[in-house]
Amino acid sequence: MNIAALLTAIESWPISAALRGETPGTEWLFPITETLHVMALAIVFGSIAMVDLRLLGIASRNSTVSRLSDEVLPWTWTAWGAAAVFGTLMFMAKATIYAGNLQFRLKFVCMGLAALNMLIFKLGAYRHVERWDAGAPPLSAKLAGGLSLALWIGVVFFGRWIGFTT
Amino acid sequence: MFRPFADWLSNTALSKTLQDQAWVVPTSQSIHIIAVSIVFGSACMINLRLLGAGRSGRSVSQLSNTLIPWMWRGLAVLMLTGVVQTVTEPVRQFVTPMFWAKMTMIIVVAVMTALYAKAVRRNAPQWDAASTRPRRAKAFAILSTLLWMAIIVCGRFIGYTWSFYA
Repeated sequence: MNIAALLTAIESWPISAALRGETPGTEWLFPITETLHVMALAIVFGSIAMVDLRLLGIASRNSTVSRLSDEVLPWTWTAWGAAAVFGTLMFMAKATIYAGNLQFRLKFVCMGLAALNMLIFKLGAYRHVERWDAGAPPLSAKLAGGLSLALWIGVVFFGRWIGFTT
Repeated sequence: MFRPFADWLSNTALSKTLQDQAWVVPTSQSIHIIAVSIVFGSACMINLRLLGAGRSGRSVSQLSNTLIPWMWRGLAVLMLTGVVQTVTEPVRQFVTPMFWAKMTMIIVVAVMTALYAKAVRRNAPQWDAASTRPRRAKAFAILSTLLWMAIIVCGRFIGYTWSFYA
């Protein structure tokens, strides 16, 4: 099955029709799903920004980096899971249109790069976090924090622009 | 009652200039969501801490004193971008009850947060120990979380309901 056929198949599912508001009584399903997506992404971005700003030395300097990460990141992952579920539901409503949308694609490029950035940070500077935990992070960690912040701002921007371009 | 004012505002030179720039509203909304994330993320962290989660992390007063200033900064950005969106599309905002419900709840939660911040600053040790923390801490945490969630719901639903009232 090629991708175009798969996307069309997804759109033909009853749940996708309901998300488009085509089934009686489902008119508010998409707005509700989108609102839950916004709440979840607010937790994702808000919590990641706290860690990124700490790495940059701008905020939460009264906490060590590892303590802040342990405190915050479980919430980030939980909320990311919720945002992914609601996002997938929104995608199903108009799979073909979203898949071909430039902003949608750029959003996922940003998210992929953010994941890569996090992986490099975890395997690199963060492995020796005990050396700089309480003080100023090394340049590579600051860079990771700045990049993460920029990429997640990109995710939010492109995400909002999908709604204006589809 | 606000309709004539909205119509007048949308015919002002400033509003017309902003309306002519297609990028203004999506960009402003994207910044608005970033600021929502800072405010909602911070509020949730403080409130969850008051409700007993994350006890191994920072103390209640440390967490509150670090995050509440960020909430005020976020709120300032929210007001600024909100004004831009309102001047550009006044009718969309003023006709729907969602907008007025949102504004009312923002005032309530802002006053609550200011009073909470003042109480914690004044008597940090009392708020840091779970045994001496005032009982209203939990009520504040629950009410504040629900209000922020309702504010997000109303905010997103302005866009979905205004055309019914216009």
